[in-house]
Amino acid sequence: MDIFLQQLANGLTIGSIFALVALGYTMVYGVMKLINFAHGDMVAASAFVGLTIYTQVMGQATSLFAVIAIFFLAAAVMACVGIMLERLAYRPLREAPRLSAVVSALGASLMIQNGIMLIWGPQMRIFPELIPQVYWDINGVVISLIQVIILALSVTLMIALYLFVEKTRMGAAIRASAIDQDAARLMGINVNKVIALIFIIGSSLGAVGGLFIGLYYRGITFNMGWQYGLYAFIAAILGGIGNIPGAMLGGMMLGLFQAFIAGYVSSTWADAFTFILLILILIVRPTGLLGERVAEKV
Amino acid sequence: MKRTFRNILLTLCTIALMAGLSWADTLKVGVQAPITGSYANEGQGIENGVRLIAAQINAKGGVMGKKIEVIPCDDQGTAMAAAICAKDLVNKGVSMVIGSYTSTCAEAAQKTYFNAGVLQTSDGTADSLTEHGYWTFLRNSFPNSAEAFFAANYMVNVKKYKSIAVVSDFSSYAAGLAEATVAEIKKAGGNVVTYAKIKADSQNFTPVLTNIKSKKPDVIFFAGYYSDGGQLRAQQKALGIKADFIGGDANDNADFAKLAGSSAKGALIINVPSPAALPYEIAKTFIADYQTTYGMMPPSIWGLMNIDGMRAIIHAMEHNQSFDTKKAADYLHNMDKPLEGITGSISFAADGNRKGGAYVVKEIQADNSYKIIHAE
Repeated sequence: MDIFLQQLANGLTIGSIFALVALGYTMVYGVMKLINFAHGDMVAASAFVGLTIYTQVMGQATSLFAVIAIFFLAAAVMACVGIMLERLAYRPLREAPRLSAVVSALGASLMIQNGIMLIWGPQMRIFPELIPQVYWDINGVVISLIQVIILALSVTLMIALYLFVEKTRMGAAIRASAIDQDAARLMGINVNKVIALIFIIGSSLGAVGGLFIGLYYRGITFNMGWQYGLYAFIAAILGGIGNIPGAMLGGMMLGLFQAFIAGYVSSTWADAFTFILLILILIVRPTGLLGERVAEKV
Repeated sequence: MKRTFRNILLTLCTIALMAGLSWADTLKVGVQAPITGSYANEGQGIENGVRLIAAQINAKGGVMGKKIEVIPCDDQGTAMAAAICAKDLVNKGVSMVIGSYTSTCAEAAQKTYFNAGVLQTSDGTADSLTEHGYWTFLRNSFPNSAEAFFAANYMVNVKKYKSIAVVSDFSSYAAGLAEATVAEIKKAGGNVVTYAKIKADSQNFTPVLTNIKSKKPDVIFFAGYYSDGGQLRAQQKALGIKADFIGGDANDNADFAKLAGSSAKGALIINVPSPAALPYEIAKTFIADYQTTYGMMPPSIWGLMNIDGMRAIIHAMEHNQSFDTKKAADYLHNMDKPLEGITGSISFAADGNRKGGAYVVKEIQADNSYKIIHAE
């Protein structure tokens, strides 16, 4: 039983990172019907930005304030990069066929990945131990402080995002733009602003995810964005791409699924089973777990 | 008619150009190493080291009057890129290739070098590297089988561990070392409670470690690379697994302790002695030069092993007074007197294995330095 609970705790930790990253994919898809392949690399970039803020701006301070400041600064930097990405790579192609935008997204992904390599170098960079190594042993299930922080902060951010989208005027504008951009424009919604906003939110959440990866696993490489991006993308599809609670559910589910497969079957098969799960979901419920069937606009 | 004439002229020009390139008065030395990717730290160490020794040899007039020209190729630590590198380096006309760091990459490139008669010297420790019978391959490190014997003996007879967990990834080196170690442990009468495999670079090893925890082993022996080993050690501590941690030779990199952070202390690593602990005069001079040139210590012993391989090949060419690779290989396989190397005396057996090799067990201290606690 304690093994089961331990795998559960492990799965929820990695799952909440997947969920944070998946939100970026799902929000952009919801409004623009575009898969932002560069998002995974933005997440990787944020870990490097966080590391640079720690060494250059914070002067390697390890206080609680410094850690919080790193989160805010990295999110702010990545939000700016996100807006630039939208302006340069996606806005010029908004009226173009969808395939062009996808190719542009792949190009942006390569640009960012190689940009990280040029700026920070090709070798693995190592994050400092900013969160003290504190563990609690509860009847054989060991939970660390950083796991608690990752889980609590992710859930808080996700609830805040959900409330923002469902309860505020700006959230209503996002939802309206997701349904029909032309109609939203007619209602006086500035769709360009909405799209900029979702890139700000998506990139900042991705930045938090990237910093979690750095703080939790500590080793970061320029090409790690591909792996996390792929998992988060699968998580977004699992939950129903375009659906915000779906991305959260999908991320958590994928984290748990991988932990249990790796724990009870074999870590060799974790990836294979992940893709089998994806195929099954696409066959049985093509719109994902929480996705609604939407009539294709003609 | 005009066109035929032009074509003939073009062909002639091309031939002249190619011939001109091969006449160019340099000795081309290829470096095949993971300059990017997870093992970039090691790959850059190899490239830096080769460039430094080449510059030193060139400053003394080169090899029999020819200057050394270093041609690097990045194999990214993947077999696919390694195969491309091999073709590329052969096309560029190298007469020897230094590297690669991983056995997987060395193995993927071996046949191409063999077919082209290009000498290859790698620190790859997988036993399979010398089992193909390629005269072009010279191993500048010591094979897994020797390390497995030492590790098993240390765990079963010295430390007297009652239950041993073995972990590896899927690479030629790691799986080879883990399987050989499991076999040696069983031969020595030890008890392997589990042999688990992880996917290199996957970062999240907690599912596998949680399973290991339920088996309550006395020690975890990790055959794999430092980039995973450091994280494995950190996650082992985070899960409250009390077992000792012993890492195989590829964990011997300064990044291991950095990745493991405060969990690094007490982890054990089995390898030949570290660069800083090399007693030879030639080693001290070279490492001092390396530090003044690059402002840091070599990342590990592996770059130095590769440089010793390169020095041995050049020594053979100078001894033969010929750049012929087959003659150089014949000389190296039957050396009457070993060459003084940075990593100890170097000579090769007929199958291309380096002779000798003495392992030590190093314990990581609180300041991330190594302390040798057991020697062969």
